[in-house]
Amino acid sequence: MTPQPKTTSSPVIVEKIYQRFNLGQRWEHMLLFLSATVLLLTGLPQKYRDASWSQAILTTPDRVYLIQQIHHIAAIVLILEAVYHLGRAIYQLSRRKLSAGMFPTVQDLRDAGQMILYLLFIRKDKPKFGKYNFEQKVTYWFVFFGFILMIISGLVIWFPLWFTNFLPGGIVPAAKLMHSTEAIAAAVFILIWHFYHVHIERLNLSIFTGKLSEKEMQEFHTKELERLQRKPKDKVKPGEPK
Amino acid sequence: MNNPILQRQKFGLFTAGVIALLVSLLFVVSPASAGNPTQKTENYCLSCHGDPKLNMTLPSGEVLSLYVSQDVIGHSVHSPLGIECEACHTDISTYPHPAQSFQNKRDLSRTIYLACQKCHPDNFQKAQDSMHATAAAKGNMQAAICTDCHGAHDVQIPGKPRSSISLTCSKCHADIYAQYKQSVHGSALINENNQDVPVCTDCHGVHNIQDPTTAAFRVQSPEMCARCHADPQLMGKYGLPSDVYSIYKTSWHGVDVSVYKSRWPTIWHDSAVCTDCHGIHDMRKTTDPASHVNPTNLLATCQKCHPGTGPNWTDAWTGHNKISLQRTPFLFYVDAFYSSFTPFILWICIIYVVLQIIRSLVDRVRRSLP
Repeated sequence: MTPQPKTTSSPVIVEKIYQRFNLGQRWEHMLLFLSATVLLLTGLPQKYRDASWSQAILTTPDRVYLIQQIHHIAAIVLILEAVYHLGRAIYQLSRRKLSAGMFPTVQDLRDAGQMILYLLFIRKDKPKFGKYNFEQKVTYWFVFFGFILMIISGLVIWFPLWFTNFLPGGIVPAAKLMHSTEAIAAAVFILIWHFYHVHIERLNLSIFTGKLSEKEMQEFHTKELERLQRKPKDKVKPGEPK
Repeated sequence: MNNPILQRQKFGLFTAGVIALLVSLLFVVSPASAGNPTQKTENYCLSCHGDPKLNMTLPSGEVLSLYVSQDVIGHSVHSPLGIECEACHTDISTYPHPAQSFQNKRDLSRTIYLACQKCHPDNFQKAQDSMHATAAAKGNMQAAICTDCHGAHDVQIPGKPRSSISLTCSKCHADIYAQYKQSVHGSALINENNQDVPVCTDCHGVHNIQDPTTAAFRVQSPEMCARCHADPQLMGKYGLPSDVYSIYKTSWHGVDVSVYKSRWPTIWHDSAVCTDCHGIHDMRKTTDPASHVNPTNLLATCQKCHPGTGPNWTDAWTGHNKISLQRTPFLFYVDAFYSSFTPFILWICIIYVVLQIIRSLVDRVRRSLP
């Protein structure tokens, strides 16, 4: 089913719209975004307790306690989201329905190499990408492993007594160091890498709207568009004018 | 006018005049050393008070000896300096003495010691702001006053020998002295006459001794220990590390304590300070089996604040160790990883994004060109 313009005589150009993320994925991103922001904002003042800006926030011991409670609540939200995400992936895997789109491939390495050549003015054209390009896969897997480390190290310093029942005591200060440095690495990565790609390179709101226009598909996900157009029955949803 | 004989005579006269002036000045400036008249006053007093049997009964029933030993007062710090009896006994200048209204011995001491402030106003004032003065204000008349520590007729230069300081405190604080004597500091002082170890006053202060059980004293106490234990020269002398404090300050406990010290010094906080683990007056070498931080006792010491912890728990404490493969392997690997990983991520992100910005700008400019 190919989307049709409503009236052939209308001067309004109606673009085809392609579904990129389903509602569940958009909600997952929203939860991740909100909980990670709260975690970062409540974590930084704790990490930099010696700094005056932190002490301007944490003016009383009660405030310290409060900010820790908020951090823990946001952590629970993040953990639940991570469990849901992993559980869903495992469920889909067990039914052989897990989309392979997000897994890294050799093609991604080639794309990255071509992209660097393009950026260095050695090649003329950007590589053509599928549904998820290598930049987006790097983002996903960085966040994936980063949050696993953050959750584990966070739980260790939240419940050190329990963990040292069966793990060496040395993991406690190591977890504390990991939690506070991985947080900075992750924040730096998201703020530079992710924000550039979704805000500055182009404003890509598909994670909130779920949709991409044909023009965007053509420019950024050429191969995916080609695939969809080859098999029009597969997953193409009728676009609606925005 | 150029007669050499006349000139020589003039010079001789001048010299004689100067010498005479200097000699007379000597008499004016230091009468004590010249004539020592005050000893006469002392001798006058001792003509009665030199009798060992001289005493009186106070209204409380206590028998007060009025005997002052010539030997004791002669060897005090005051008497040889010419400070006479009535410098302290200000209302007694002759015989018969004016009537006294002391009810008991303590009453007498607490009245006469007020004379100390005439010559020692600073230290006297400090003592008025001390824990001892606070205790006295609350009704404990036994709380120490100047003469309790320094003595009265037998007042000596304080701190000679150094061990006398802790002995002085032990007159009232015997139980604490007993602990201190066994400690690494006390035993070195008493048995080895070590002059580096702290005596009571090094930690508690001299005249303005403060309540050591307050939150404020607690959070500043690590700095107190650091006065010696962060001194590389002093610690080097005994083969002790001098970075225990600087590493502690970055530890979980240490950061907590320093935040409380700077922000909320009056709010009690339980995060461990030095004395919580090492002991207050009974700190010993870590190799001593009786030490609270000896490996055999360490877990029990941790459990004072962290009940229910297992034997692995003690390794979680890294507050005195630099990150090293031997002492803190987990910390070492995490630190090694992130000290390269974080800058790596940062630079990759920056370089990649900057390249992309340049490329897209160049593209845009090219497209706008005809």
